[in-house]
Amino acid sequence: MKFWAAVRKAPSWTFPLVLAAVFLALPLFPLDYTTSRYIQLSLILAMVVSGLNLSLGYSGQLAIGQAAMYAAGAYTAGLLSKAGYTDVALHIVAAGLAALVVGILTGIPGLRLGSWSLAMTSFFLVLLVPDVVDIFEEHTGGHLGLSGMGRPTIFGYPLTPTDMFLAIVVVAVAWFAIFRNIVASRHGVAFQVLKQSPVLASSLGMSVYRTKLAGYAIGSIPAGLAGALLANLDLYLSPETFGFHLATGALAASILGGSVSVYGALFGAAIVQFSNDQSTVFAEYNLVFYGAFLLIGGVLLRGGVAGLMRTVIRRLDRAAGIVADHGPLESTTVEMPRIDGAVLEVSNVAKAFGGNQALRDVSLRAEPGQVTALIGPNGSGKTTLLNLVCGFYRRDAGTITLGGVEIGHATPDRIARLGVARTFQTPLIPPGITVRDVVMSGRYTLDRAGYFSAILRTPRFHAVRRRDRARADEVLRLVGLAHLADSEASALPLGQRRMLEVARALVREPKVLLLDEVASGLDEAEVQTLAAVIRQIRDAGCTVILVEHNFGLVLSQADRIVVLARGSVLAEGTPAEIESNPQVRDEYLGVAEQGAARPSGASVTVAEGERA
Amino acid sequence: MTLVYAGLSLGAVYALVAIGYNIVYIASHSFNFAQAQLMMIGAFVAYAGFVTLGLPAVIVIAMAMAAVMLLSAVEERIAVRPVADHQTQLITTLGFGTVLTGVAQLIWGTQPLQVPFPLGSKVLTILGGRVFPVEVALVLFAVLLVVAINLYTRRRMNGLAVIAMSQDEEAATLRGINVRKLAFAAFAVTGLLSGLMGVLIGPKTYAVTTLGAALALKGFVALAIGGFGSMYGGLIGGFVVGLVEQYVTRYFGSEFSTLSVFVVLLLVLLIRPTGLFGRVQERMV
Repeated sequence: MKFWAAVRKAPSWTFPLVLAAVFLALPLFPLDYTTSRYIQLSLILAMVVSGLNLSLGYSGQLAIGQAAMYAAGAYTAGLLSKAGYTDVALHIVAAGLAALVVGILTGIPGLRLGSWSLAMTSFFLVLLVPDVVDIFEEHTGGHLGLSGMGRPTIFGYPLTPTDMFLAIVVVAVAWFAIFRNIVASRHGVAFQVLKQSPVLASSLGMSVYRTKLAGYAIGSIPAGLAGALLANLDLYLSPETFGFHLATGALAASILGGSVSVYGALFGAAIVQFSNDQSTVFAEYNLVFYGAFLLIGGVLLRGGVAGLMRTVIRRLDRAAGIVADHGPLESTTVEMPRIDGAVLEVSNVAKAFGGNQALRDVSLRAEPGQVTALIGPNGSGKTTLLNLVCGFYRRDAGTITLGGVEIGHATPDRIARLGVARTFQTPLIPPGITVRDVVMSGRYTLDRAGYFSAILRTPRFHAVRRRDRARADEVLRLVGLAHLADSEASALPLGQRRMLEVARALVREPKVLLLDEVASGLDEAEVQTLAAVIRQIRDAGCTVILVEHNFGLVLSQADRIVVLARGSVLAEGTPAEIESNPQVRDEYLGVAEQGAARPSGASVTVAEGERA
Repeated sequence: MTLVYAGLSLGAVYALVAIGYNIVYIASHSFNFAQAQLMMIGAFVAYAGFVTLGLPAVIVIAMAMAAVMLLSAVEERIAVRPVADHQTQLITTLGFGTVLTGVAQLIWGTQPLQVPFPLGSKVLTILGGRVFPVEVALVLFAVLLVVAINLYTRRRMNGLAVIAMSQDEEAATLRGINVRKLAFAAFAVTGLLSGLMGVLIGPKTYAVTTLGAALALKGFVALAIGGFGSMYGGLIGGFVVGLVEQYVTRYFGSEFSTLSVFVVLLLVLLIRPTGLFGRVQERMV
C-alpha cells in the first residue's frame, strides 16, 4: 500500500506521458509486421473512438457517424496525395478541416432535435459513404478503391515505414493531450452539464445549441486526422473500410472502454482491433462480438473499463488511507461581497397551455435588497411564472423588465447572462463531477476562456480557473458545504443538493436570484441554514424571489409576499398583511387552521406528487 | 405508373418498419433500433421455410411470426428492460440488432437470397402500369395494418391503456395499468407483426444481411416525415420515401437514391422537426 500511496503522489499526467514514451520507443525494438500494424491501426481507431467519447460520452449527443468523418479525412488525404501533394502534415490539417466541415454540416439539423434524430442522421451518413464515393468515381476510384497515392513525405523528406509509425504515435499522442486538456477544463464540465440537462445548461447561460455543436464538431476532428493517417499507411482506400462494420466497431469500442473517459478509447480500440485482426473464420463472428459488446457495455458496464478502473483506484485509495484533503472546517459566517441587484418587473403577463389559462394578467415587482415571496396552492402558476421569467416559456401577453430593460423574447441562456439565476424544484446535478466543479460550472459564462486557451493551458486559462475556484470555495463556505468540495456531487443527500444549487446560482453573482421551492425536503436545521443564507444574499443587495410552500419560512424571510391563486394575483403585501388576510387564509391555509403553517412535511409530499 | 407502383411498394416496406418503431414508441417511449433486423430475420426464416424446407405458406408464416416474436421478447428482456434511459436503450437495441445481423450472416451467408411469394410472381397490369403481386400485397397490407391498429387503439381497453402509458407512465401505473407487462406485450406484438412483415418483404427486397441497416434508416426517415407516434404519418412518410427513391433512381441514377432520401430527411428535420402529424411539447422544467 505504501507503493500505491507513492504512485498516487505523482501528478495525473505522468502515466499517459510514460505510455507515450513507450510507444515512441517501440521502433527501437524489433517488431514483427503484424504487431507493428496492429499497434498502428489500434492508435488510429482509438482516435476515431475518442471523437465518439467526446460527442457521445461527454456531451451526451448520439452522434455516432464518426465513420463518415473518418472517410472524409481519408479521401481528402488520398486525393491530395494523388494530386502530388504528399506532405503528411498538410494531409493532417486538410483532413481535420474536411472532417470538421462534414461534421458541422450534417450535425446542424440533427443537433436541433438531438437524441434519436441525431443518431439517425449521423448513422445515415455512414450509409452515404459508398454512394458519394461512387458519384465522384473518376477521382475516388468508386467501389474499386482509390489507388495511386504517392509515398508520404514530410517537408520534402520521404517517410520510411518506421517514420510512419512514429508519425502515427506523435499525432495520436498530440490529439489525446488536446482531448484531455479539453475535458479536464471548464469546457469538459460544461459538456457534462449539457448532457445532464439542456434546461440546466441554458439556465447557467450556456447556449445549448452552440455547446452541442462544439462537442460534435471537436469530436469529428480526430476522425479526420485518423483518416489521413490510415490513407498514408495503406496508400490505398476502399469505401468498404468505412461501412457499418467500422461504425458499430467504433461505437462498441467506445462503450467498452468507457465513453466518459479519455484513455478508455485506447483500451476499447485495442480490443476491437484485436478481434478485427483475427483469422477469417474468427472474423465472421465479429458482428456478433460487436453487438454483444454494445449490449453488455450498455447493460452491465455502465462506465466501461475506465469506470471499473476508477472504482479500483478508489478502493486502493481507501486501503492506502489516502483521503481527499478537506481543509479546515470553517464557520458559515462568510463576508458576502456586494451584489448589484436589479428590479424585476412583471406586468400583465398571461400564459395559456392549450385551453388551460395558467396565468392571467399577473403583475409583480421585486426590488433589490428584498426577498419577494411567491406563494399559492399547487397549480396556481408559480412555476409557470418563473419559467416565463427565465425564458423557458413564451408568454402570450405582458412585459417583463429587468433593471428597467424589457427582456423581450430572449432565449433562456441570454436571460441567464443578463443576470437571472435560479434553482430547480428537483435539483439538477450532473453525475460524476465534484461539488466544487458543480459550483464552478455556474461561472462558465462569466469569464471567457475559450477552447484554445484550455488546450494550450495559457496563463489566462489558469487565471480564470484560479478565480473560479476561489469564488466557488467562498460560496461553498457560505452555504456550509466547504468540507464536501471534493466529494461527488450527485451522491449528496437532497438537502445538501439543494444548498449546492443555491451555491451554483450564487456564484454567478446574479442580479436576480429565483429560488424554486428550495426548502422542500429540508429538515429543520437545514431550513435554518437556508434562512440565514437567504438573509445574507438579500443584505448583499441581490433581488431574491422565493417560491415556497413552507409558510413559516416565507413569513420569517420575505419582505413582500405575492399570493397567486388559479393563475392570478390574489393578494400582495407585507408578511403581516398576508397573514391576516382572510381570503389568503381561506384559499391557501384552509379556514380551520388558525394562522399556523401547515407541517412542511405534508406540503412537500403534495408538491412531489404533483410533479411526478 | 410502373414507377409509381414500384415507389409505393418500396414505400410500404419502409412504412412497415415505421409501424414497428411506432408500436414500441407509443407503448414504452423507447426506440427499437433492431426493428429492421427483426424483419430481416423474418425474411430469412421465410426463405428457410419456402426454399430450404419446402413448407406450405401457412406454416412458414406461423414459423416466421413465432420465431421473430421470440427474438423480440428476448430483446425486451435483455436489451430494453435492464436499461433505464432511452438513450442507452438505443445503443443496446443497436447491439441486439448487430448480433442478429451477425448471426444471420453466419447461418445464411452474405449473398442475397430470393424469397418466393406464395401468390405467384406473374406480372399484373393495372391502370397501364406493371406490378408484381407481392407489391400489391405489400401496399394493401401496410394500409390495412395502419387502419386496424388505429381502430384497435381507439375501441379497445388495451389500446387505451397503451395510449395512457405513452402519455404518462407513472400516472398509468397509478391507475392500475401494468406498464412493464404492457411494454413487454408491445415488443411481443411487434415481433409477431415483424415476422409477418418479413415474409412479405422478403420477395421484394430479398433476404440479405445488409437489409437491416438500410431499412432501419429509411424506416426512420418515414417516421421523421410522419411524426413520432403517428401511424398514418408513418404510412405516408414511407410512401414519400419510396417514391422519392424510385424517381431519383430513374432520372438521376441509383447512386443518388440514398442521398436524395437523406436530403429529404434533412429538409423535414429543418422545416418541420415534429413531422407532419407530430405534436409539440412545451413543458420542460
